[in-house]
Amino acid sequence: MKNNLKENCLCKESNFKNVFDSHFNTLRNFLLFRYKNSNYAEDIAQNAFIKLWENCKILKIEQAKSFLYTTAIRLSLNEIKHQKVADEFGINFAFVSLNNETPDFILEEKEFKNRLESAINSLPEKQRVVFLMNRIEKHSYNEIANLLNLSVKAIEKRMHQALLSLRKVVDNI
Amino acid sequence: MGNNENFLSDWLENKMTDDELKKIVSDENFLAFQKIKNAVENLKIEDSNLSSNYEAIQSKIKKLKTEKSKVFVLWKYASIAASLLIFTATYFYFSKVNKFETGFGQKQEIALLDDSAVILNAKSKLAYSNFFNFNRSLTLSGEAYFQVKKGSQFTVNTLQGKVEVLGTKFNVLSQNNGFFEINCFEGKVKVSVKQQSIILIKGESVRFYENKIEKWYEKNKTQPTWLTFESSFKNTPVKLVFEKIKNQYGVEIAIPEAIENIKFTGTVTHKDFKTALQSVCIPLQLNFKFIDSKNVEINNE
Repeated sequence: MKNNLKENCLCKESNFKNVFDSHFNTLRNFLLFRYKNSNYAEDIAQNAFIKLWENCKILKIEQAKSFLYTTAIRLSLNEIKHQKVADEFGINFAFVSLNNETPDFILEEKEFKNRLESAINSLPEKQRVVFLMNRIEKHSYNEIANLLNLSVKAIEKRMHQALLSLRKVVDNI
Repeated sequence: MGNNENFLSDWLENKMTDDELKKIVSDENFLAFQKIKNAVENLKIEDSNLSSNYEAIQSKIKKLKTEKSKVFVLWKYASIAASLLIFTATYFYFSKVNKFETGFGQKQEIALLDDSAVILNAKSKLAYSNFFNFNRSLTLSGEAYFQVKKGSQFTVNTLQGKVEVLGTKFNVLSQNNGFFEINCFEGKVKVSVKQQSIILIKGESVRFYENKIEKWYEKNKTQPTWLTFESSFKNTPVKLVFEKIKNQYGVEIAIPEAIENIKFTGTVTHKDFKTALQSVCIPLQLNFKFIDSKNVEINNE
């Protein structure tokens, strides 16, 4: 790649690599929340970074993140027709168990985790994406609103509804 | 806070305390919400393999580049091929030489690209390339009468020299034996032989032969006599007179060396060989003898 670039230019490979390191996983996860297919999510995320690279001369590092999300959404809209299969997969969560409880408890916990997982997978897409971006990716409502080009109010509504929907599924505790 | 319709979102973000939530929802619901909140806290998405994804991106970029450069290379080759084709086509078009040649006793009228006309006398050759459009230049050996349309310089190249005009009527006779004669019937003609150049005006003629230059004037001449199936000569060495007769009739005429340079003035027909021979031999007191129909011997005894 080219030398003699300005220190803060995105076309400088080290800068591009930094942007990649800090945003690839969250972008991939956003796409995973949306399309429930991790291979597809990785593919689209890679393509978004390629677009970022192709436009590195006209973009500043600060603009990279929102460019990546916008591009990823646009790219996935282009390809989504071919990806109807995506829904057959589903998000697989790793469950972090903090305590070493009795086997019964672990079993119960594992069963609950499975039910929660399928409940999340069957949430409407809009609620699922926002809920997981906040809960898993720890994005604030403000950040999510910016990235998805929505109002904070809309984010709050989706969060509220997501929790209500999940409440129904885990009714019998 | 209770008025906020999206109170659960506030509670999830810790903008609303557990106690505040408990006031709005039932205990059962609160416990359920809390259980979900805690359970979701423990859900993780496995990180992707960053280095393999980065490599994938790099290789996709490389692939795109080569695809682009392939297209470019293809385009480059195509354009080179196309320009070569155009170049060779142009080259062949312009270098294509148009040739005309007449046999014994033949005449040929040729219309040139610039609307000029050439009438080629017997046993003559004319050639010009398609480049003629631009430089009006052609090559002649033998005899031809030119009617040149006015325009840029028009050049007739011959073995002996060149004739340049702007737009006139003139006759050029260039024989392989070195005989070179130009007759101007209209306008001006510039004749260049080696370093020398001579300008002819209407009615003037010039002849170059054996290092001699002869210039003369004839009034009321509007076109060469050979156009009306005659050849007229003025003080012309008899060798050349017979040369022309040979061209018209396609015969062999043997003449003794001693009489080669006797001068002849007169007109010879193209229509009848015997009459033609008589019209030269009788005034010069020469005899001719048919060896057969194609071979004649001249003597001065």
